Amino acid sequence: MSAWFIILTIGLSWLGAVCVWLAGDNRPRAQHALAVCFSLAAGAAALALIPNTADKAVISLDAGSVFGLFTFVADGLGVFLAVVATVIGSLAVIFSVEYMRGEAQLGRYYALVLLFIGSMAGLVLTGSLFLMFVFWEMTALCSYALISFYNDDPKAVRGGIKALIITQFGGIGLLAGTLAAYVYLGDYQINTLLAKAQTLPGGVLSFIAFAFLFAAMAKSAQVPFHTWLPDAMEAPTPVSALIHAATMVNAGVYLLARFYPAFAEVAGWKTAVLLIGLITALLAALTAVVATDLKRVLAYSTVSQLGYMVYAIGVGGVFASQFHLFSHAVFKALLFLGAGAVIHATGTRDMRQMGGLRKQMPVVSVVFIIGAAALAGLPILNGFWSKELILEGGLENGPIWAYGGMVLGAGITAYYTLRMVSLVFFGQPQGKKQVHDAGSPMKTALIPLAFGTLTTWLLVGLFGSWLQATLPYHELHTMTIGEMLLRIASEPATWLALGVIALGIAAWLLRGRLAGLAPALSGFGRAAANGFGAETLNRGAVALTQRAAAALQVTQTGQLNWNVLGIMAALVVVLLVLAGAA
Amino acid sequence: MTTEFTIIAGGVLCLLGVGLYGLLTVRNLFQVIIALQILVKGAIIALVAAGKISGQINLGQSLAVTVIVADTIVAVIGLALAVQVKRLTGSLDVKNLATLRR
Repeated sequence: MSAWFIILTIGLSWLGAVCVWLAGDNRPRAQHALAVCFSLAAGAAALALIPNTADKAVISLDAGSVFGLFTFVADGLGVFLAVVATVIGSLAVIFSVEYMRGEAQLGRYYALVLLFIGSMAGLVLTGSLFLMFVFWEMTALCSYALISFYNDDPKAVRGGIKALIITQFGGIGLLAGTLAAYVYLGDYQINTLLAKAQTLPGGVLSFIAFAFLFAAMAKSAQVPFHTWLPDAMEAPTPVSALIHAATMVNAGVYLLARFYPAFAEVAGWKTAVLLIGLITALLAALTAVVATDLKRVLAYSTVSQLGYMVYAIGVGGVFASQFHLFSHAVFKALLFLGAGAVIHATGTRDMRQMGGLRKQMPVVSVVFIIGAAALAGLPILNGFWSKELILEGGLENGPIWAYGGMVLGAGITAYYTLRMVSLVFFGQPQGKKQVHDAGSPMKTALIPLAFGTLTTWLLVGLFGSWLQATLPYHELHTMTIGEMLLRIASEPATWLALGVIALGIAAWLLRGRLAGLAPALSGFGRAAANGFGAETLNRGAVALTQRAAAALQVTQTGQLNWNVLGIMAALVVVLLVLAGAA
Repeated sequence: MTTEFTIIAGGVLCLLGVGLYGLLTVRNLFQVIIALQILVKGAIIALVAAGKISGQINLGQSLAVTVIVADTIVAVIGLALAVQVKRLTGSLDVKNLATLRR
């Protein structure tokens, strides 16, 4: 049964991509309808996988001795992320019906979106490291093409290429780790790696662990690879929602969670993960404080929340990190699609030119404020529960200074969230344009997400026991809803975190009186706007590459005879190596 | 076996050597294609001989036939490109094709 649902989840998305493409750009209504139907069908297939989870491979194709078995495993973790990708992805597609109305080249847009959703589902459902790498690269390629969708805008093209290059670095890490595992285990199966990790030589296991961490950092936009995500904001807003909530950035956290049982014992790995999460969460939150572009604030908030998930894995809280991923996917999709509605109506992304939209866009403002409250971690929204779980796990199993940093990050999150909401929806209207509330396709996408933001935390017990039942290698600290309520309400840590969040809110409300601090913070603001030196690092890498290329240019004569000589020399080297090995 | 093997090996090495020497030295596109053909003929003979020596005659010969097919396609496309190069640049010198170099 589940084999069919896996095929449908991935296949329907890809089939939809082909159909939308074939429908042709002169029939936009058919394209919208096809895209919505196929994405909803793929979402339904993914949901149907939930009662059919299994910890064994349900599809196994023999792809020959080089590639091993192509397996697909419908276990809790994979199905959960496939559901997130397809269901939230289909809401983004529904939203696109209104947002992309009248745009040219809808075929390319929808085909790439559906390919993206299908690839993400494949990435999380496959049980073979080799296929995982293939799907990993497919998501990178789709994200590149979608970020550069407006390909007559140089900024969009630059953002897309940046995303491609930086995520390729991660791809190299994944490939290196995969090949190392294959050399020592003779098998690409993820479950083989999880089962036999402790039999590998220590150095090899460390290499795989850190290579995969590197891959996750690039994909999930952790410092210092976080710079691609804000630049990816040139994409159409539904695509931003897709990248930030449903696909792409979740892949890195998924990778860490999936292989946590194998790597937890590697010396220094957990500390490295914890540190990366902590630094990312804090720096991204600080950068969000000074950003003025609505989508960029949301982008930095995603980076920061991903930092929380990575930190949770670093302190052993795989369940907490996945639970926060779940909450984050729902509320961040809501925030991005809400922001899309605002941008669609006002025609600008600069928050300083918005303001007072609460009266003109009542529905959007209500759902956006719900999402923002979840991002800030206010009770009783889903973001509150999952963030508290992470923080309590951090206090229990991690160093106290890291915990302190994360609590501080929660306060900063509350500050920039309130700043964003009040700049956009409150105060005096700054724009001259008459704006109107979102239309029905946008509302169809926004309202289920708002409902989800209010209620998904109720699923904690079911979610936990479901994950636990199908993940034989993970030790999850799951709990029922009653236990979670009791624990969070009784822990003083919760009240401390809430106090810091309240301080963050108070800091924004009292910003007039705190204005005296502004000069002291201006240098910091400049550093934050520069991405804390990460952009300098990027520029250095680019300059180094170009200089190396210029230096190596003499070897490229472009003449056939020299090229033949090069090929022959390589052949001789290969023969010598083979002779040496034999 | 030994005399036969020596003769074949010598012939193969001669053909490979002539082909490689041609690829390394000539600049006329037609001569390049001819050199490539000589090289591949050496490889085909080597395949057949290897099949005979290892006792897998069928495998060696079927590989040889496959190489003949692939090699023919290479020659056809190469010659077609050579005609286009002649039309475009007015000469068959491969040096004129190094336009990617700044």
